Amino acid sequence: MKDKIEVLLVDDEAIVGNRLKPALTKIGCNVEVFEDPKEALKRIDEKEFDIIVTDIMMEDVNGIQLLEHVHRESEWTKVIMITGFATEALAREAMAKGAFDIIAKPFRPSDLREVIAKAAEALGFEKKTVA
Amino acid sequence: MINPSTLEPTYTEGFKTDLQDRKPLLDTIDRRLIERPSFSFRLQLILGFLLLFFLSVTIIIGSMIAIKRIQNKLHFVQASERFLFEVEQARRWEKNYFLYGTNLIDAAQSASNAKILLSQNLKSYQKISPEQAAQIVYNLDKYRELLGELVVLEKRKGDAPARKQPIESALRKHGAEMVEVAVSLELKEQDSINALLNLFHQIPIYALVAYLLIIIYVAYFLAHRFMKRLNFLIDSTRRIASGDFSPIVPIRKYRDEFTTVSMAFNRMLEEIDARHTAMVESHKLKAIGNLTAGVAHELNNPINNIMLTAHSLLEDYKELSEEELLEMINDLINEADRSCSIVRNLLDFARESESVSEPLDLGVLVRETIKLAENQIKVSGAKIDIAVQPNLPNIRGDKQKLKQVFLNLILNAVDAICKDGKIKIDVENATSPGFLAVHVLDNGCGIPSHIMPYIFDPFFTGKEVGKGTGLGLSVSHGIVNMHGGKINVTSEEGKYTRFTVLLPSTDIPADIKRH
Repeated sequence: MKDKIEVLLVDDEAIVGNRLKPALTKIGCNVEVFEDPKEALKRIDEKEFDIIVTDIMMEDVNGIQLLEHVHRESEWTKVIMITGFATEALAREAMAKGAFDIIAKPFRPSDLREVIAKAAEALGFEKKTVA
Repeated sequence: MINPSTLEPTYTEGFKTDLQDRKPLLDTIDRRLIERPSFSFRLQLILGFLLLFFLSVTIIIGSMIAIKRIQNKLHFVQASERFLFEVEQARRWEKNYFLYGTNLIDAAQSASNAKILLSQNLKSYQKISPEQAAQIVYNLDKYRELLGELVVLEKRKGDAPARKQPIESALRKHGAEMVEVAVSLELKEQDSINALLNLFHQIPIYALVAYLLIIIYVAYFLAHRFMKRLNFLIDSTRRIASGDFSPIVPIRKYRDEFTTVSMAFNRMLEEIDARHTAMVESHKLKAIGNLTAGVAHELNNPINNIMLTAHSLLEDYKELSEEELLEMINDLINEADRSCSIVRNLLDFARESESVSEPLDLGVLVRETIKLAENQIKVSGAKIDIAVQPNLPNIRGDKQKLKQVFLNLILNAVDAICKDGKIKIDVENATSPGFLAVHVLDNGCGIPSHIMPYIFDPFFTGKEVGKGTGLGLSVSHGIVNMHGGKINVTSEEGKYTRFTVLLPSTDIPADIKRH
């Protein structure tokens, strides 16, 4: 079992990555940040990630497409969706397609950390790592 | 120096939807409508029938007078016959006397009979011709006088043919003259009877023709006026249906029953206009409602950035370098500005404001509208392109209302497209001179041809129940009409829909604009 949780974060808003990278690194995550979902897809093909955090509404490739792509590659990777406009329909679609959770913007870094902790637990990481 | 404002189109006159302005205007128009002298259809009908009635009365009275006159003339002719008979009888006796010396007394008797008949009918004779009547009277008197002389001569028995001779010739002369005059009088009367009878023969024909003409005239005149009024009202309803709510103003000199209808129309127009304004406003709110997904997304992003940055500051304040702190504070300010501009943009559109007509750059206006809907389009996954022809003239109009039209067309396009949706907007000079065109083209589901004629009708919607109000295109149509423009659509089911909005440009030549 690895020590660090491998996290990939995609959001076309640069500030999201800038703020979340240190916030997640702090709790023992190895974070890679992408603004361009296409670049992120390339990286996913290269490397297996434990958790992927993705915005839903992005140009070119949206979060749902990314989710589908990830699950084709590796079923166990947990995908956490974040969205600026959370409708029930969207949440249902994301969950039906196997998203681990869905977080509505605006959120606090701790909100994401909690969800990541749950995901890590589900993946079999020790609780204290992400406390 | 030419003042450009005098060259600008004046279509904005019917543009005022402000109720405070409209009320006194309508009252003035009502007063002008009612102040005209009345010439109602009821009056026209009564006049027509009275005319017919008086014509009938004239014909009847005329006939009665004519019959009376014929009767009088017949009386005269009969009397004249009897008089002539007596005169001729007297002359036959007179002849006998001169030939055989007999019947002189009979002649005198007949002559005095004639005298009695004449004096009985003297008035009739005098009426026809006073001179001739006098002639007859004179001749008869002379005749009788001469006969009287003969009777005296006969009694004396002093047979003096020499004395009889001049009496005889005078007697003949007066007798012949009397008969001649009486006969000519009688013939004259007979002629006039014939003339009257002839007239009587023709009167029914003339009367029928006159009746026919009057009836045709009255019917045609009334029907023509009636139809003209009706057609005017029909035209008015068409005009209203096309979105022109300007009241009916008096055109003719007189008022009639239709004036009341016109006034009722104006009242109705006032109501429609007020409701239309309310409808445009409520549709605007509905359009804003349709923007929620986009607006929420657009606003939540900067708020999220602020939230994350603020929390990072709170958590790591002490560990952060000054450079990092500054970067984060700048992020906070920029993201707050971003939220402000989103809200401002939306409020600018949503704010209830009076209709103002101002010069507008259509390209800028369309771009601003796209900005309003940008995130909504992004949410739907569609792509939008805009191409604006350079150096376009301005248009004149209400910025908010026109934005509402384009927003509605864009949102309709967003609703119509499915996968790989593309929206293309072109702003250019229209093919018809003096107009600018905005084409909104989407590659969506298209409009089925069977509903095409109804898409601009109020409350008609092709969308699912609860999704569309059926007001969007109807309101857009009304707004474009109000600006003196036109809105057209071409579509092929399953392929594309293209809405084209034509708006009149303010054709002020560049050199005048510069002054």
